Amino acid sequence: MTTVSDRAEPGERGARRGRRITSLEVLCGLVLVAVLGQQWLQGVLDAPAVRTGATIFVAVCVQALPFLVLGVLVSGAITAFIPPHVLRKMLPRKQSLAVPVAGAAGLALPGCECASVPVARRLMGQGVAPAVALTFLLAAPAVNPVVLVSTAVAFPGEPGMVLARFLGSLGTAVGMGWLWARFGRAEWIAERALRRMPDAGGSRWVSFAETARHDLVEAGGFLVLGGLVSAVLNVAVPQSWLGSLGGQLVLGVLVMALLAVVLSLCSEADAFVAAALSPLPLLPKLVFLVVGPAVDVKLIALQAGTFGRAFAARFAPATFLVALGCAVLAGLLVLGAR
Amino acid sequence: MRRETQNVLLVLTGGALLKIAFGGSYLRYVKPSQQPLLVAAGVVMLLLAAVAIVRDIRARQPRTSCGTTGSEHARSAWMLLLPVLAIFVVAPPALGSDSVNRDSARDAATERTATFPPLPPGKVVELPMNEFVARAGWDSRDSLAGRTVRLTGFVVRDEHRVRLARMVITCCAADASPLTITLRGGEFTGLRSDDWLRVTGEVEPGSATEANNYQPVLRVATLRRVAAPDHPYEQ
Repeated sequence: MTTVSDRAEPGERGARRGRRITSLEVLCGLVLVAVLGQQWLQGVLDAPAVRTGATIFVAVCVQALPFLVLGVLVSGAITAFIPPHVLRKMLPRKQSLAVPVAGAAGLALPGCECASVPVARRLMGQGVAPAVALTFLLAAPAVNPVVLVSTAVAFPGEPGMVLARFLGSLGTAVGMGWLWARFGRAEWIAERALRRMPDAGGSRWVSFAETARHDLVEAGGFLVLGGLVSAVLNVAVPQSWLGSLGGQLVLGVLVMALLAVVLSLCSEADAFVAAALSPLPLLPKLVFLVVGPAVDVKLIALQAGTFGRAFAARFAPATFLVALGCAVLAGLLVLGAR
Repeated sequence: MRRETQNVLLVLTGGALLKIAFGGSYLRYVKPSQQPLLVAAGVVMLLLAAVAIVRDIRARQPRTSCGTTGSEHARSAWMLLLPVLAIFVVAPPALGSDSVNRDSARDAATERTATFPPLPPGKVVELPMNEFVARAGWDSRDSLAGRTVRLTGFVVRDEHRVRLARMVITCCAADASPLTITLRGGEFTGLRSDDWLRVTGEVEPGSATEANNYQPVLRVATLRRVAAPDHPYEQ
């Protein structure tokens, strides 16, 4: 259906308009079929596992969409109202110094991981070095006050957990920034991500609304894709074997790191989930908290959509390894091998 | 994808958020305090779409802002249709017994403090499941001893036992974890999994142990089937 609709792009194949089916008609058709087939659809989806998966899918989307909307409003505002020279003045000229500054900026701006993807993209679009924007992307969802407070609440009597999480996450963000500054290549980031919106010739407010709308449509689709993958995995991965991990520290660390990627929880909530996994030692739980906000399936889908597949294929595995290393290091320093 | 189609998808998505926010079914998916966020997000989506539609109509010619950037990523917007259809057509229910059976490794009672304030006076004390399980497992002063409590939850039935369960969420249903108690001594015929119950009874002393993952036993005095509550989850 998409191939049919894409051929009907106005401008590209303008001559064929009127004879081809447009995407708008495809959309109307899909909605009509879904409404007419409602009874049948509900019957098909009546298996318990499918119902659970559908609820989790809608929950992930509904939970994340408001934060994505917030993110595209900020990204629109950056594009429309903050000229590149102002941003340049705010950041140290030396990239290796600007990276930790961006990490600290994450402390002040509470955001969810999905909000920070479009923001990082528009920061790059306004001339901020990719290494600096990526540091902000990783830091904003992980080290903000809301997340740290919820960690403290979820682990009463373990103040070391908050410090260890803070150090691990900040280390991940700054470490990835420095790595990108040293080894990253501009061509890994899809060229379309850095392109400014075509100048519509309107006011700044028009450019604000158009950028926000464009980012929302584009990132929203990938957010939904990530939510779908996470819901399927949530139902398909049996969680019963978590209990049998018990004292096996190394295995526990690896399994919790992978689980963080799979579950795609929001960074405000993951501390409570980790705390509820009672048989595990603290270190695997810390790994779960540091890896989750930095790399998960929802984020990978968003990053692939925003910056291109070539970027996501390198950035996501690298972030996973760096986050794993930083979490273990911070855990051993602050918590000891418990 | 054409720009008009994107705008229609935005209107549908924003509309879906507003529908669940005002219709109350958002409580099946996220915590209650998310409601204003959902309303704000829905309104912003409608506004952004409206601005684009009005500008297009004024210009009389659809702009091709996305058409110029290649079809590959513009296709992703089709995915937005999935949650819209899920909300308007399927309307997935709140998590129930299937999640409880799936989540055997987790237990949601996070309050591990050893002392609790005394229970309010009265013949029957209405308690959230969260507090009941926490008191049964960790209260050094045994405040539940000899008290009749009233609990609301849904049935999880298997061949061995009948349990009363409630899901606890922190943010959204993806982070939900179950609280369960075993029911004993009541009349359970005809009860099916996912039926909602209001149960009164007394805790069996010492029944919440580490071995059974702090899952207390309730000696049932009365048991009544009720409609599913507006707030299906505890926090």
